[in-house]
Amino acid sequence: MPEPPVLRPRRRTFLALSTLGATAALAPLSACSSDDAGGGKGVTLTFSWWGNDDRASRTNNAVKLFEKEHPGITVRTSNADFGSYLTKLATQAAGGGVPDVVQLDYRQISQYAAGDALARLDEPIDAGTIRTDEMDDSFLRTGTYQGRQYALPMGRGITGYAYDSHLYAKAGITTPEPSWTWEEWADANVRIHRLGLHGPDGRTVTGSNDGGTNEDVFEDWLRSRGGQLYEDQRRLAFSERDLTAFWTFCDTLRKEGAVAAARDTTQAKSTETSPMGRGLAAADFTWDAPFPGYPALLGEQVHYGPVPTTGGRAGAYFKPSMLIGIGAHSAHPKEAAQLVDFLLNDHRAGDILGFSRSTPPNRAVAARVATTLKGAEREIYRYAQAMEKYGLADPPTAPPRGDLAVQAAFGRTYQRVMFGLSTPRQAARELIDQANRELRQ
Amino acid sequence: MSVLTTRPPDRTAGPPAPRKGRARRRREQQWPAYVFLSPWMIGAVALTLVPMAVSLYLSFTDYNLFDPPHWVGLRNYTEMLTEDPRYWRSVGTTLLYVVVAVPLKLGLALGVAMLLRNLGRGRAFYRSAFYAPSLLGASMSIALVWRALFNDGGTVARVLDAVGIHTGGWVGNPDYAVFAVVLLTVWQFGAPMVIFLAGLQQISPDLYEAAALDGAGRWRQFLSVTVPMLSPVVFFNLVLETIQSFQVFTPAFAISGGDGGPADSTLFYTLYLYERGFTASHMGYAAAMAWMLLLAIGAVTLILFRTSRSWVFYADEEDR
Repeated sequence: MPEPPVLRPRRRTFLALSTLGATAALAPLSACSSDDAGGGKGVTLTFSWWGNDDRASRTNNAVKLFEKEHPGITVRTSNADFGSYLTKLATQAAGGGVPDVVQLDYRQISQYAAGDALARLDEPIDAGTIRTDEMDDSFLRTGTYQGRQYALPMGRGITGYAYDSHLYAKAGITTPEPSWTWEEWADANVRIHRLGLHGPDGRTVTGSNDGGTNEDVFEDWLRSRGGQLYEDQRRLAFSERDLTAFWTFCDTLRKEGAVAAARDTTQAKSTETSPMGRGLAAADFTWDAPFPGYPALLGEQVHYGPVPTTGGRAGAYFKPSMLIGIGAHSAHPKEAAQLVDFLLNDHRAGDILGFSRSTPPNRAVAARVATTLKGAEREIYRYAQAMEKYGLADPPTAPPRGDLAVQAAFGRTYQRVMFGLSTPRQAARELIDQANRELRQ
Repeated sequence: MSVLTTRPPDRTAGPPAPRKGRARRRREQQWPAYVFLSPWMIGAVALTLVPMAVSLYLSFTDYNLFDPPHWVGLRNYTEMLTEDPRYWRSVGTTLLYVVVAVPLKLGLALGVAMLLRNLGRGRAFYRSAFYAPSLLGASMSIALVWRALFNDGGTVARVLDAVGIHTGGWVGNPDYAVFAVVLLTVWQFGAPMVIFLAGLQQISPDLYEAAALDGAGRWRQFLSVTVPMLSPVVFFNLVLETIQSFQVFTPAFAISGGDGGPADSTLFYTLYLYERGFTASHMGYAAAMAWMLLLAIGAVTLILFRTSRSWVFYADEEDR
């Protein structure tokens, strides 16, 4: 047997290899989004949105009907939870690959429109491919940027509060009224905790999810005290003191065991993983659109109540829950416009989609669907009517570009409070510093 | 190249050719080399050098992916070093990870390699089995499985609960989350293991025989024969693993759900870089972070090379 050659590594080899390895640090994070539409015949559209399973199955059913009506058009759908959806879309936008039809958040419109990632909708609207005559002009304006239409609202949403009425009755808490206050809410949480009920893993059931992690809850709290999030496109309108007060309020409740534990809050990414969805809390702050997911998951005793007020002053407001647009680089803008029109205006699509994106913007569709509404969706509709009657302050102007980043920073910074790594005051200071840097751009 | 220029003139081939002719002949001899190199050169320029130059330029700009980049000079660098607590948090997390994961992984790789060396039958099978995680582990799907294992109510939490340790799921707890990532990396010790195995097989059995004759036990043989003979391979693995560890991304992304949470405990450097670039749309800042990472990796590698002089033994050094 021949002797194997002796391994003699030399310095030079190592140096070369290490250099290669180090250069890889700069290799661009590959976007890897090759959207090859398969098949030689027909048109393939991509359509993406975020939302829970209920919305996913309804949307897919509506899309199937569209495909049946338009032979030759195939729609490839994709959806995700809100957080990963935003990241994915930003990556796609950077590579010029925004899906043909895309669901957008209110906070994304100005950035995406200014960055030429969205197609202008004025032409298909003028041509009648997308009909808007059944929609309110003032509401349509939420999808404009510098006077041009870039997106259309898919629904009118409002924040609220999903709660388990059985647990509330058991704890002797009266049904939440539109005028109930934050103190009453805090008290309700303490009472539920004192019931000493055990969740699936043996821990005591808490009153609610921890609102400190959610910028929307803070906004409601702030507005109920006469404040608002933004002064203008570059400045915050709240102070370190406001935020410290809010976070101290939440922090205290959590330490008492009245709201969800830190580890459950960090794992809550959807209805199913929320403390309420996991049987660990009696209530959950949420938008109206995902609300039907709660009774579907937990049972009919779950109802939709109003967000607490400060001395009767409500902080909630109506806003476009989400919008729909067309990618600027779509190869099939006409078919994409047809799909948008179908989802917004077709009565059968309206029946299928129901209120899964809150109140439809098309008046005729909304009126038609409202008469057929049952259960959770009927409750959302009534809730919106009740809040309209109760009286809400005007919505704020469209949030600045940096708001998405501020929203993410909000939850993240509060996590440091939850795990005892920062005091509420230190965290508030840090959030405001971060927000100012995001808004400076 | 250096061989060509330093070679002494060939005396047997008659009088040396005039300078011009020699230069031309050299060019004639070299063109095939450039032709064969061209695919690599085009790749290196188009896919490495140009993106690097663009990235360097972007690091001095404010660029949000949508609008044209806007020159801001050194602001990205000063901001990250003086104003951004999360930057330093990501540096701390990454350093902790490198310091913990690299020695664990290399230790495990060496240990398993030594066990396999003495294995007769079935060595190929075990080698493949231990190598498999390295092939699978880099994928998103495995990282997601890992997340499920370490989630609240996941297998790991249940097993620990059963023995009386209540952690409540590692990925939701800032004290443990980073170690879920460490374990996922350590589990993928296959690549350094194969290199260690190759290195171990190159050590001449004569050396062990001689050591045994001198009365050295197993431990003594390990220290006096295996370690010095293997030191170049250890060094090679150490350098590569360190560089790779600084760039860890996929497991952290999957296990934290993309946000480096909870409470920034898995906010690795590259994850923060990605978040700055693609979530917050601060591409200029992300580019500046990438250059700081390159400098840091360069510095660490340089330090490793400097210290290696005192502990790495090269067989060819004896010849000099």
